[in-house]
Amino acid sequence: MATLEDSFLADLDELSDNEAEMDENDGDVGNEEEDVDMDMADLETLNYDDLDTVSKLQKSQRYIDIMQKVEEALGKDSDGAEKGTVLEDDPEYKLIVDCNQLSVDIENEIAIVHSFIRDKYKLKFQELESLVHHPIDYARVVKKIGNETDITLVDLGDLLPSAIIMGISVTSLTTKGSPLPEDVLQKVLGACDRALDLDSARKKVLDFVESKMGSIAPNLSAIVGSAVAAKLVGTAGGVSALAKMPACNVQVLGHKRKNLAGFSSTSQSRVGYIEQTEILQSTPPGLRARASRLVAAKSTLAARVDATRGDMSGINGKALREEIRKKIEKWQEPPPARQPKPLPVPDSEPKKRRGGRRLRKMKERYAVTDMRKMANRMRFGTPEESSLGDGLGEGYGMLGQAGSNRLRVSSVPSKLKLNAKVAKKLKERQYTGGATTSGLTSSLAFTPVQGIELCNPQQALGLGSGTQSTYFSESGTFSKLKKI
Amino acid sequence: MSSLLLKTLTKKEEIDRIIRDTIDEVLVLRFGRCTDTVCLQHDDILAKSVTDVSKFAKVALVDVDSEDVQVYVKYFDITWFPSTVFFFNAHHLKLDSGTADHTKWVGAFHIKQDFIDVVEAIYRGAMKGKMIVQCPVPPERIPKYQLLYKDV
Repeated sequence: MATLEDSFLADLDELSDNEAEMDENDGDVGNEEEDVDMDMADLETLNYDDLDTVSKLQKSQRYIDIMQKVEEALGKDSDGAEKGTVLEDDPEYKLIVDCNQLSVDIENEIAIVHSFIRDKYKLKFQELESLVHHPIDYARVVKKIGNETDITLVDLGDLLPSAIIMGISVTSLTTKGSPLPEDVLQKVLGACDRALDLDSARKKVLDFVESKMGSIAPNLSAIVGSAVAAKLVGTAGGVSALAKMPACNVQVLGHKRKNLAGFSSTSQSRVGYIEQTEILQSTPPGLRARASRLVAAKSTLAARVDATRGDMSGINGKALREEIRKKIEKWQEPPPARQPKPLPVPDSEPKKRRGGRRLRKMKERYAVTDMRKMANRMRFGTPEESSLGDGLGEGYGMLGQAGSNRLRVSSVPSKLKLNAKVAKKLKERQYTGGATTSGLTSSLAFTPVQGIELCNPQQALGLGSGTQSTYFSESGTFSKLKKI
Repeated sequence: MSSLLLKTLTKKEEIDRIIRDTIDEVLVLRFGRCTDTVCLQHDDILAKSVTDVSKFAKVALVDVDSEDVQVYVKYFDITWFPSTVFFFNAHHLKLDSGTADHTKWVGAFHIKQDFIDVVEAIYRGAMKGKMIVQCPVPPERIPKYQLLYKDV
């Protein structure tokens, strides 16, 4: 503890020397400004010509301090983990927290520098920004292309996958850009250098955090591994911040949104850093989604244990990891074999009578018709008519009696929709057999050309002549009788 | 081979016991020799359907060569092997299959489903209290034989 404090004090004394060093390391971009606070430049300041007005982090005091400490700590051997009752009291932990915060800041800074580069480079090659999404990759590509007009001369093989290289070469032929003037080019290249420096600094910080992760959060690193644990803690901003998150958020920490135009996002699975863990890499792809949810949940529990420093030996973490492993194995075992089932005892299960619209419609065809209902009832006091007269034969009941409310009684129930064939047959029979054809129907048709014309009314109705023989006639039986 | 799965009875007490002890289940007793080819075919079908029918039937084989069993052979008038007799709750059930002898099933079944159908029909009839049931097997698959009475 004492040595650490001393070294901090020593750092403060060596401030000015460090600043001088950092100055030399800076890129040769424009004016060098002294800045005191470490606020991020506003993105709203569109009118900037100068990298330093935009990206101040690398010069800020905080950055310099922390980077120094990191270098030191990486160099010397770490003494035994300080077991404070609360995690927050440990000075090493404070360094880790600062590093985490710094890594987030560096990332923001990289984004700012990236937008700076992009804005300047738009004049040369506008479409590159939409093709290469990752800011560091973009910076590398810009550095390599420089002011080159013919992209095919530039070898991008080790920087990007070949599909994107192809896309770049194709779009470069049709781009509207023009080569940049020399000073703008220098600024752009300087900004690229700055971006790459920041990236390497971030990597250094993360490596340091990762090496310390075992003593900071042993349970979490037991489950997901120290690299991913470092990334998670870094993105969350501290172990307690990670512990406060619900597990579903932990699952998507670090998820890269790669929504290129035309690709739907349903095919992407929403997994973040957890996807890089050893556990998930070894599960078959079908079970990845379930496994990621499980790992996220258990790692959140482990983070909570670590935040309160309940278990510094990591036993909890190992137990959780074992649990996860067992569960994933269980998901993968084949289903139990089918036993041959004996037949059920006959007549032990009663028949399930089904109901529903279909059954009701079927029953309607055999329902009692209105005509039959009327025939079944009788009027009080009056004798009913019967088919053979005088009470012999079938009784007609209310049918045909004056004073019954019904104007028209059909023999077919009204709710029933007849088949087309049956309907036609009914109509034919009704027309030819019924004594109730209207007296006003005429078989004569008046045509303007011929005068009076006799037409068959049945033909008009579409019934055809009664003697018309069709192959499929329902009323006809034999269509042709030939005497041999 | 199938006789390894099915119980083989050789003594009269065993037969008595098994008839008494199957309650609410159809008891299928096959009288025959385990060496006869038709018996073997019959036994094969019985063995295959034992698990399917296990909820409402029990199957046992009676070896016709032992002396104890001759009493039963004479009682049921068994002359052709294999013959199958059906019991339910210690009652002997008759099966009208269109042949002359209703008291037993003579010969082997053609397919497993036939046997299962017969056992189900017997079960239904017995649960209703009938002593004789109609055979559900179509006549093509019923083994035909001639009944000789005293060489007539």
